[in-house]
Amino acid sequence: MTSQATTEPRAEILLIEDDAEIRRVLRTTLGAECYRMREAASVAEGLQQVHARQPDLIVLDLGLPDADGIEVIHAVRRWNRNLPILVLSVRAHERDKILALDAGADDFVNKPFAVGELLARLRVAIRRGTSVHRENAEGIFHLGDVAIDLSKRCVIANGQETHLTRIEFKLLQALIRHADQVVTHGQLLNEAWGPNHTEQTHYLRVYMVQLRRKLETDPARPRYLRTEPGIGYRLVTGQSD
Amino acid sequence: MLCTLVAVALRSKIELTSLAMIYIFGVLVASVRYGRTAAVLNAVLGVTAFFYFCVPVHDSFVMEDSSYLMTLSAMLAVALVITGLVDRVRAQSNKVRDAELRITSESMKNSLLSAVSHDIKTPLAAIYGAATSLLEEEDRLDRAQVRGLIGGIAAEAERLNRVVTNILEMTRLESGMEVRKDWYPLEEIVGAALSRFESALNGRPVTVHIPSDLSLVCVDDVLLEQVFVNLVDNFVKYTDAGTPLRIDASRTGETISIIVQDKGQGFPSGSEDRLFEKFFRGQTGGIRGAGLGLAICRAIVNAHHGTIKARTMPEGGALLSIELPIGGSPPDLTELTEGSTA
Repeated sequence: MTSQATTEPRAEILLIEDDAEIRRVLRTTLGAECYRMREAASVAEGLQQVHARQPDLIVLDLGLPDADGIEVIHAVRRWNRNLPILVLSVRAHERDKILALDAGADDFVNKPFAVGELLARLRVAIRRGTSVHRENAEGIFHLGDVAIDLSKRCVIANGQETHLTRIEFKLLQALIRHADQVVTHGQLLNEAWGPNHTEQTHYLRVYMVQLRRKLETDPARPRYLRTEPGIGYRLVTGQSD
Repeated sequence: MLCTLVAVALRSKIELTSLAMIYIFGVLVASVRYGRTAAVLNAVLGVTAFFYFCVPVHDSFVMEDSSYLMTLSAMLAVALVITGLVDRVRAQSNKVRDAELRITSESMKNSLLSAVSHDIKTPLAAIYGAATSLLEEEDRLDRAQVRGLIGGIAAEAERLNRVVTNILEMTRLESGMEVRKDWYPLEEIVGAALSRFESALNGRPVTVHIPSDLSLVCVDDVLLEQVFVNLVDNFVKYTDAGTPLRIDASRTGETISIIVQDKGQGFPSGSEDRLFEKFFRGQTGGIRGAGLGLAICRAIVNAHHGTIKARTMPEGGALLSIELPIGGSPPDLTELTEGSTA
């Protein structure tokens, strides 16, 4: 993990979290990973720091004392579309997560979290902030043993080439663009069908089942196209750790 | 109306007084089933109809005022007395039910308290013990001991998290949380649950047989995923490494049957019916938990108007069968053809 951290030299993280113990754990852990840390305990203080420090990434708790953490996302997105925001939230609060993600947060980590998972999400978010694409010059995206040829719109798995339909391709493209990050149902529907179809989630699910049949060895136990129940999907490349 | 039809049909055959009884019966039914207003209305309409249709001379309102009024007041009295009685009985039975609910929630609170004190305090004790030992004995511990204590803290915290999650989930279900249903491929929900267990499965082979043309089901995905998470969690907790698990699904009429079976020890004999009770724990063999996993499964399946049953296979191994109604007619997916979306 330390070797990974050195490839992202001293990114500055702003942690907006009201619980002092969680702040302390993250300060210690992220400090050990050579990140520079700034801390804030409320929405107001957080926004002040965002403007004063211009951090490389925000780690945001949604339950803050003075206002809903989502206010930070709205405020930041008004002037900066690329600053990565990672949300800390509690499982079972799916609706809050969707709101945060659709407001422009990049990803979430459930509390209580294992540090390894948090670090992996951080790295992905920072990488996206600096927009590094991982397809090679020929437009081939590798997913374990599976190759996705973006120019020919096909998948090569187990030595077999399978053509992707237009919608399947659009969905996969969106997931690749956000590789290792969650993409909400609404975002995917918007990508594939346009803004007027964001309610018909069952279409999306049927397409994801089809995509899994083309990509996964065992579609009922997906390695790559993971479901985040109640939220959306995540393309897991296995390269974030 | 119905009374009038019957009375008109019978008017030539029986006496007037008996005919009036038919209307009393009508008033009775209205009093018991539909309340005071309906009963009074029924009495007035009934008496009017009775005099209009049944009393000679037929089909006219020429009649003796006094007997009309007498019958009407008798009917009204019947309506009012019966509705009064019914109301009182209802109020009583509501009171009894409230009391029963209070008792259930009291005993629920008690068992919750004992579960809380044991299943929360035990891992907490382990965490606290390990942490204080690290604080105070740091210099005297070797690396391996330190790692052991830290590993214990992480594992116990994870266990504590599971217990707390289950208790919260059960409380949420009991307080009548909303079920948000939509149409899902079952394969996706099972897949989401299984992908949470990659490392925990520890080499136990899992096979899933869901026909690719199985109908979509109308369910709350987050809740139904929890059912599979709890079942797989039990499987991981109570079987030895290497034990296989199999999940099958099929459709019969408007029902989806899901079978989850393993080749482990099965359930302790005679406990199959009690497994789904809150805080019931089978032979634990030192494995901790609050005894809520299967109770949560049942609450969720019931919320979907389905059933869940458990049994031990004759050759050993646990078998859980879930019957889930498809929940309506699945959406038409023909619009999905790419021609129309292109």
